[in-house]
Amino acid sequence: MHRLLSPKILFTRTAVAAAMLALVLVLCSLIGSQKISLKGTLIGEHSSAVPNPDYEILVHIRIPRVLLAAIVGAALAAAGVTLQALLRNPLADPFILGISSGAGLGATLAVVAGLGWTLWGRSPVAVFAFAGAVGTVWLVWTIGRVTGKFHVTGLLLAGVVVNAFFSAIIMFLISIARGQQLHATMFWLMGNLGEEDFFALWVGGGCVLVGIAALYLLTPQLNAISFNPTDARSMGINVERVQFLAFVISAFITAVAVSLSGLIGFVGLVVPHAVRLLFGPDHRQLLPLSTLFGAMFLVVADTVARVIVAPAQLPVGVVTAMVGGPFFLVLLVRYNRKVSWLR
Amino acid sequence: MRTWWILPGIAAIWIGLGCILWRPHHADAGSALRPAQAPTRIVSMAPELTETLFSLGLEDNIAGVTQDSDYPPAAAGKRTLGTFWQPDIEAVVALKPDLVVALGFEPQRSLAGRLTRMGYRCLMLDIWTVDDLFHAIETLGEVTGRQPQAQQLRDSMKARLASVQNAAAARDKVKVLWVVQRDPLRVAGRDTFINEMIELAGGENAIGATVHKYPAVGGEQVIASVPQVIIEPTMTKGDLREQRAQAVSYWRRFATVPAVANDRIYVIDGDLVSRLGPRLCDGVETVAKCLRPEAFGE
Amino acid sequence: MNPSVQMQNVCFAYDRGRPVLRDISLTIPGGSFLAVIGPNGAGKSTLINLIAGLLVPRSGTVSIGGTTVRSYRPADLARKIALVRQEYVPVFGFSVAEMVLMARTAYYGPLGFEGEADRQHAIRALEMTGTAEFASRPLASLSAGERQRVFIARALAQDTPILLMDEPTTFLDIRHQVRIYDLLKTIQVNESRTIIAITQDVNLAAQYCDQALLLRPASSMETPTQQRQTASSPCQYRIGPVRDILTAEHIEEAFGVNVFSGRVGHRHFFLPLGRMAKDAISDSTPPANEQG
Repeated sequence: MHRLLSPKILFTRTAVAAAMLALVLVLCSLIGSQKISLKGTLIGEHSSAVPNPDYEILVHIRIPRVLLAAIVGAALAAAGVTLQALLRNPLADPFILGISSGAGLGATLAVVAGLGWTLWGRSPVAVFAFAGAVGTVWLVWTIGRVTGKFHVTGLLLAGVVVNAFFSAIIMFLISIARGQQLHATMFWLMGNLGEEDFFALWVGGGCVLVGIAALYLLTPQLNAISFNPTDARSMGINVERVQFLAFVISAFITAVAVSLSGLIGFVGLVVPHAVRLLFGPDHRQLLPLSTLFGAMFLVVADTVARVIVAPAQLPVGVVTAMVGGPFFLVLLVRYNRKVSWLR
Repeated sequence: MRTWWILPGIAAIWIGLGCILWRPHHADAGSALRPAQAPTRIVSMAPELTETLFSLGLEDNIAGVTQDSDYPPAAAGKRTLGTFWQPDIEAVVALKPDLVVALGFEPQRSLAGRLTRMGYRCLMLDIWTVDDLFHAIETLGEVTGRQPQAQQLRDSMKARLASVQNAAAARDKVKVLWVVQRDPLRVAGRDTFINEMIELAGGENAIGATVHKYPAVGGEQVIASVPQVIIEPTMTKGDLREQRAQAVSYWRRFATVPAVANDRIYVIDGDLVSRLGPRLCDGVETVAKCLRPEAFGE
Repeated sequence: MNPSVQMQNVCFAYDRGRPVLRDISLTIPGGSFLAVIGPNGAGKSTLINLIAGLLVPRSGTVSIGGTTVRSYRPADLARKIALVRQEYVPVFGFSVAEMVLMARTAYYGPLGFEGEADRQHAIRALEMTGTAEFASRPLASLSAGERQRVFIARALAQDTPILLMDEPTTFLDIRHQVRIYDLLKTIQVNESRTIIAITQDVNLAAQYCDQALLLRPASSMETPTQQRQTASSPCQYRIGPVRDILTAEHIEEAFGVNVFSGRVGHRHFFLPLGRMAKDAISDSTPPANEQG
């Protein structure tokens, strides 16, 4: 049985998790398909007139990638926590309300249309994916509202319908895609932490950071709302406003994550659930810890994806599912006697 | 809601952090590697590009190729860089290349973009048609300082193609159904370089114009297209005769189609006809032999 | 300090349905223990939800201490009213202490944590309801009666002058029922709070409450002509001191069931008797019977 949360406990646990994340980041940036030597990187950027490959690989390839994995993992886990609270369903994940098919549609459109223009040298897939995600969320929200203010069932149904419809369009687009477009699309849909550069990391990381901080401010209300929204209202919480804000923010950070990395499943579902099993359902703790553990999980999964079939790479989504599934099963079995957390 | 002020605070800190850490990423690093002399550490990200580079006599200047660059055999000895679909950027960087040659579509394009931003010299080639191929050979020749070899290669290829075309010119075009996949049935449409090859060899695509480049077709369209010849390129390295026997048994269900009735079903080596590279002429000649075996002394 | 609850000409219907509440005008005096009694579908929960601000009347106003419920901000309304409904187990496994502390969410500091005062309110609420021993246990591990007390504790922790209860004891055994009513009465008397409780148990209401509100379904009301003919009340409700309102006559009128009422000493009781009941009242016997 978990103890009541206090600021001190929260701070300690968050600090420990942050330290673990830092360690994981360092270790995983030293692992990859090429062997690099740490001494080699310290020589600096250029040794004689030629760039130093150790430095190049570490600083310009590995570190951005590892940071990207951390940002995406954090965003997906935080969004997962929030949606599970709003929908009062521990099996919700950030993609449940249509974001996955919307982003997928945007990305597929960008690839199949063969758009030649680039944004500062990068393909427009990310932008289209983001637009698709955001547009779909708006669509689902609007359709769901027809059934009344934030009626959970209405939202879920709208999400299912939109998902089905957009998935059909995606399949059609895939059917007319040329070989290489097809491959690019599939790869994106399976989740791919292709290296991003500093600018994308900076913008994406900033958005995710601010988004998660905003969600943290809502966690006491999320506690009450995840308990029961009507009761929360009579306890003085402006439930409609909190639900709207939480929904919009988590949709936003999910859209950012998806536009950076494609569709990576499991993180947003398993990590919050596991953290809740271990630490309890208090969202003031659940959110920061899930964020940090989500980041760690994806960094490790990505490292495995990069290394295990080198020189090829597995799509990250494959690793998260294959690692996440059994891990979660073990957790469930061990905590079987504490199944009261679930119901 | 005083606590919400913390959000702009965090954003401000983050922006500040970004400004401090950002350094103009070696925009000039590449210039140090753009000397007047020809590149000596070339990396090829596609099999057809590898073949072309070898044809230009650059074998000793090639530092690495992708795993699927299997021709010529000498390419097998080079360092591998992942596959065409999944290039390994770390391996590329580890080779310290002074020229990266890639094709102009995903995932090559983003890889090249990334390498360019890191300061490496990248050459992206869009090769969709036979003309594109000739332009690409010319460009590669210029960039690598092998203009004479490039010119020679182009001339010899053009000559071979011309001779095939001449041999086929006088006769009627042969209707060809080019089958890329059997289950579901997919053929090459008119908007492909395969179509170009067919026409160079004196044939005509049995399928009319389609939206898709490689449309899936049903049985009716096959019968309606009345092909005189069916060509199936194969990517599996096995006995071609055996594969042909399998193909024949598959096509038996279309007994009314002229190609099947006259036993004009050909299974050819896919490598020759799926890469727009120096072996294009081999491919076209193979196709021409299929279309008119009597003219080419089959 | 003891705001009264006032409803003036309140009408309510769900969406485009039939009216549930017709022209309700009443005042619930502060500091009283009011029982809300009536058949299913009479609109008892609707009434409570209107007072709690969860529903908005079609016409008329609901006000607390002179200010309309509509004009309260949610956080301010939560300082006036706390709502207790039938217990349930939530999806996520919160513990008793976590749940009770949620009532103080509106008072949390900037970091989102409770202050010392909040903790004191929570502890007091737990002690008053006798649930302090369960504080760190998850809600799912309690019995229904214990859980209901925890729900009441949460409302108490909210520290409001008015407590609304929607059938808090319907599925509990008589021990728990009595225990909870004892608790409510203690709260009302010792802390001068207003308690408005919906209940199905007429006898409990008669024993513990000072005021009663008897509500009929709007659909069962006769037309004005019928009312004149049968001299029945034109109102959907009756409100007043328990003695006056909870009579066999009124209960029969509201529920449409024969009620045998009696008095042993000065203790009243009501016994609803159906046709097949052992002591069934035959048609010829006058319904109400006072036995000395």
